[in-house]
Amino acid sequence: MGQVGTRILTVEDDERIRTAVKLALEDEGWEVAEASNGEDALQLFTQEPADVVLIDIMLPGIDGFEVCRSVRRTSDVPIIMVTARADTHDVVAGLEAGADDYLTKPFAPKELSARIRALLRRVRTSDPAASHLAFGDLEIIPDEGVVRKAGEEVHLTKTEFRLLVELATTPGRVFSREVLLERVWGYGYFGDGRLVDVHIRRLRTKIESDAAQPQHVVTVRGLGYKLQV
Amino acid sequence: MFPLKTPGLGTRISLAFALGGLLLSTFLAFATQTLTREVLLRQRENAALSLALGNAQLAQSQITDDTEAEGVDDILSALQSSSSRPLVQLNGVWQGDGSGAFTQEDVPVELLTLVASGQPGRIRIALNDQLTLIHGIPLPEDNADYFEAASLAETESNLRSLQLVLIGAALTSTLLAALLGKYASRRMLEPLNEVSDAAVAIAGGRLDTRLDLQVAPELTSLANSFNDMAGALETRIDRDARFASEVSHELRSPLMTLAASVEVLENNLDQMPDRAATAVELLSSDVTRFQTLVQDLLEISRFDAGDAVLELEPVGIGEFVRQVARRSTESELATSIAPTAEEAIVDVDKRRLAQVMANLIENARKYGGGATRIDVFATADTATIAVEDAGPGVPLAEREVIFDRFSRGSAGGSRGIDTGVGLGLSLVDEHVRLHNGRVWVEDRPDGLSGARFVVELPVSDGEADGSWDEEGI
Repeated sequence: MGQVGTRILTVEDDERIRTAVKLALEDEGWEVAEASNGEDALQLFTQEPADVVLIDIMLPGIDGFEVCRSVRRTSDVPIIMVTARADTHDVVAGLEAGADDYLTKPFAPKELSARIRALLRRVRTSDPAASHLAFGDLEIIPDEGVVRKAGEEVHLTKTEFRLLVELATTPGRVFSREVLLERVWGYGYFGDGRLVDVHIRRLRTKIESDAAQPQHVVTVRGLGYKLQV
Repeated sequence: MFPLKTPGLGTRISLAFALGGLLLSTFLAFATQTLTREVLLRQRENAALSLALGNAQLAQSQITDDTEAEGVDDILSALQSSSSRPLVQLNGVWQGDGSGAFTQEDVPVELLTLVASGQPGRIRIALNDQLTLIHGIPLPEDNADYFEAASLAETESNLRSLQLVLIGAALTSTLLAALLGKYASRRMLEPLNEVSDAAVAIAGGRLDTRLDLQVAPELTSLANSFNDMAGALETRIDRDARFASEVSHELRSPLMTLAASVEVLENNLDQMPDRAATAVELLSSDVTRFQTLVQDLLEISRFDAGDAVLELEPVGIGEFVRQVARRSTESELATSIAPTAEEAIVDVDKRRLAQVMANLIENARKYGGGATRIDVFATADTATIAVEDAGPGVPLAEREVIFDRFSRGSAGGSRGIDTGVGLGLSLVDEHVRLHNGRVWVEDRPDGLSGARFVVELPVSDGEADGSWDEEGI
């Protein structure tokens, strides 16, 4: 069941789908706001920010990618996009536009709920020593959700932040895509590795001085990613 | 009745060239031979005539009324040469050169009569098997007739040599013509081979194949027609493929509504009367089935439209299969992962390979009483995954067709509650082929009843790494 009072904004132009998904999500315990196009969605989001945004990529008027980018400009809210196919460039384009995860139509609302819950999971900091982490000019304070680079605060999305903290819990350890997919997105072995790759890429543009020559989050060829000590 | 095998076009062209060459060279040889023969013989005859006239004159001047027979012999002996033999009838008495090679019996009667009437003449006869020219010249002053036999043997032999040369030339030119024919036909058939190759390519699915026959302007119209046909075919197939894709696409929206609505209904099952609840359960399971069908159709139509994109990443095949088994609901499923497979890295599209495995396990569940075992092993070049069941196995005759679309084989003939639509194995085939791999079904190696589906994939050469992402790991 979803957390009480957690608000989900669904952007979908097909009224029947919108209504059915709303009913199903409400059964799961979420509060649902609806928008039938991008303009309405952005207006609604400005008036009353949601905790999760669900965007169909195929929208009349401004498309889902653009809605995604607009929301991302002002907010770190988890965004799930709905695509037609898993094997198109749409997925990568959507992730690069700022989406945290994706689903392909038709999906089961229960699956959507599971995705939402995974994205809303809070960062676990059981280890008190991990309350303040520093790597060179990079500073991470998990409990406060703050990341500073050379003393200046960096704005990360919730998912980027959780990904970074996951890497930072065991600095120097190599995390495979599969492990990161499980810990950050709640997927198992069969999750889509592109989620990890695109998020790592986005993370690098924010915390690295030169994203092409990463000093903090480095690729270990054939194995995965690690946070350089 | 066996129809005779029609010789190929190339052979026929070659033969026609050879025949033409033979006819032409034979005609030329024959003409050359005839003309040369006439010219040579005439020359020889003219020479013989002058000689005969000279000799006759000489004989006439030397023979006098009182010349004895021996004297005539001597005169004739003096006139004799390698190519001419004289003979004289003097006062009704024949005198020869004494060699006996040319006697009065040899002189044809016509010539004798002619010369007797005071007319000179000549005649060609075969003397001692040699063509010989006999001149007859009356010598009225001596009351004598002079005959001279001139052998044409040398000319004949020259002509025979010429004949041999000509026959040789004719044969050589026939052979050359045949070779030329072969070459010409090959050149001519070259564009046809291109056409054939292009047709094979199109039949093989490369619909964008087009002909470029610039070498032969005559064939431009053929190339144009061919390309038009290929274009029309491509458009048509493309349209059909898009149609299937669009139809499946359009089905997704209502399916989405159905899936969400059914879920709402299911959430409220306990508040429904039994009959309604049963109906909802039926509805729910068929919506799921419908959903699978549409997803499979979409996947297949993407293959048809050439839209299928592989998202490869290096995957340890042993770990992959372990994960597949872990996710599977089959309780009896045992995995046997060879040490070679633990190290084998294969570039795969995980989503697709997961679907391959899921479909094979599902297929075993439907028709083979459930998968019993997954074998994984690898060589330096290939990684192999085999899924076994304990069902009736697949009859030899069906081992190919079960991978066809909407084919359920004899085992799937009855439409039970839980049979599929027959897209599962064809999707397996398409996915595996997209990976440059192969899939087939065989008997279980342990001799027990059951089918063994084998997927063979090429092992990574270590080059590829997440082709969809330049930062792939």
